[in-house]
Amino acid sequence: MPYSDIFKDHLANPRNAGELPDANAIAEETNPVCGDRLRLSLRIKDERIEAGRFLAYGCAPTLACGSALAEMLEGSTVEEARALTRQEVIDAIGGLSSRKQHAAALAIEALRKALDEVADR
Amino acid sequence: MDHSATTPIDSRVVDAMMPYLTQRFGNASSIHQFGQEARAAVDKARRQIASLISARANEIVFTSGGTEANNLAIRGVCEAAQAHGRHIITSAIEHPSVRGVLEYLEKNGWTITRLPVYDGGVVRIEDVRAAIRDDTVLISVMMANNEIGTIQPVKEIGALVRATRESGQKHLSFHTDAVQASGRIPIDVEHVRCDLLSLSAHKMYAPKGTGALFIRRGVRLFPQQIGGHQERERRAGTESVPNIVAFGKAAELAREEMDQRQEQTERLRDRFEEKVQSRIDDIVFNGDRRRRLSNVSNISFRFIEGEGLLIHLDMQGVAVSTGSACSSGTLEPSPVIKALGRDEELARGAIRFSFGKDNTDEDVDVAVEAVARAVESLRSISPLARESLST
Ligand SMILES: Cc1ncc(COP(=O)(O)O)c(C=O)c1O
Repeated sequence: MPYSDIFKDHLANPRNAGELPDANAIAEETNPVCGDRLRLSLRIKDERIEAGRFLAYGCAPTLACGSALAEMLEGSTVEEARALTRQEVIDAIGGLSSRKQHAAALAIEALRKALDEVADR
Repeated sequence: MDHSATTPIDSRVVDAMMPYLTQRFGNASSIHQFGQEARAAVDKARRQIASLISARANEIVFTSGGTEANNLAIRGVCEAAQAHGRHIITSAIEHPSVRGVLEYLEKNGWTITRLPVYDGGVVRIEDVRAAIRDDTVLISVMMANNEIGTIQPVKEIGALVRATRESGQKHLSFHTDAVQASGRIPIDVEHVRCDLLSLSAHKMYAPKGTGALFIRRGVRLFPQQIGGHQERERRAGTESVPNIVAFGKAAELAREEMDQRQEQTERLRDRFEEKVQSRIDDIVFNGDRRRRLSNVSNISFRFIEGEGLLIHLDMQGVAVSTGSACSSGTLEPSPVIKALGRDEELARGAIRFSFGKDNTDEDVDVAVEAVARAVESLRSISPLARESLST
């Protein structure tokens, strides 16, 4: 399955790339098999994600999922973010072949980990 | 910038093949006039290809491409020689069409010795010598590598095989995959002393789906396509006359223009590498930079992965290749780059740029700009790049 135009656009023009200096939820996940990495930093205030940034290393789907996720998160509530699914991330980049869907799984894991970090406090 | 993957068909090649796609449609096995016309055209192409590698015309067998030539060479020789031994020597950097056949034979009880290539990407002749056993029946080492372009010591291997045979081990053969080398460096089978040599038309400005195997007179080989008398019983199936005519013409042009093409691509490649080196930090050139094809540049970019870079470049109209493949969450970084001893990150960040006779200085400059932009963008989102800054 060829990559979609929206997928390629996320690669060429990554949204919300970088790290937030004043983040209060930071998480990084690594795919133990292929070594792909995704780091999320979120600034959460009053149960709302005010800002979200990502950094990613790995295959193209990992980069695109990171960019799409960071974009989707900004402005959403923590509850909405918790409910986000792998499929929603996949849809946001115009679909992924089944062999590449692990990239979206990595994104959701990083998100859950970041949100748990806030909940733990 | 991806001429190692394939090349455009030269317009002179199109002109040569066109009549055989239209009026001259005969089957080269037919006795009548149409058939004889096709037969004559195939035989002419055979001579043109033979002359590119200094072989005799009857030592050339047409196939459906480089992959089939490699299959026919290895499986054909191994089947014929298995009573004398089941050991094969090869390199760690062969094309999948050799690597895959050898893995198949390994599953069927053959023993394979894969020689290392060290950081330069070149096999050492001492290693070849040390690997030869009494039951070795085949050595298959490519002439030039498809990812990094390094040229292997095939002449030394050829001499070694000759000497080993003369000292009594009569059933040892030497095959070399010259698909990337052909048309790019001069090849002389008398000089290399190989017994089998594979070629592919589409790397030489001719159409895909045609190749050839040089089989030295006297080499025993079992056919792999059975059920017809074509190619002197060595490869059954009606010849693709237009493609073969095209291949012949392309071989003739390659021979005539070899020096010019070599100089041209080398100049472009060196211009490219100089500019990339001055524009981009944290890069590593892969493969011995003196001992390689003039048209290939393989570079690892630290902190980023090749696939993202490839897509970025594609969006800017620059086509390149990576040797890595990711599926089901298992990444297989290029076995060739790994064989150089590079770490995982460098193996994942390797990109092959390969130039052709019709590329220009401007193409190179556009590509350099595109690479610089893409690398900068990908590094700006890479956690590895950030970590390197903070340490
Ligand atoms: C070194 C080498 N051998 C064999 C092949 C296969 O040739 P073909 O595409 O004609 O099957 C290739 C093509 O990529 C190659 O680079």
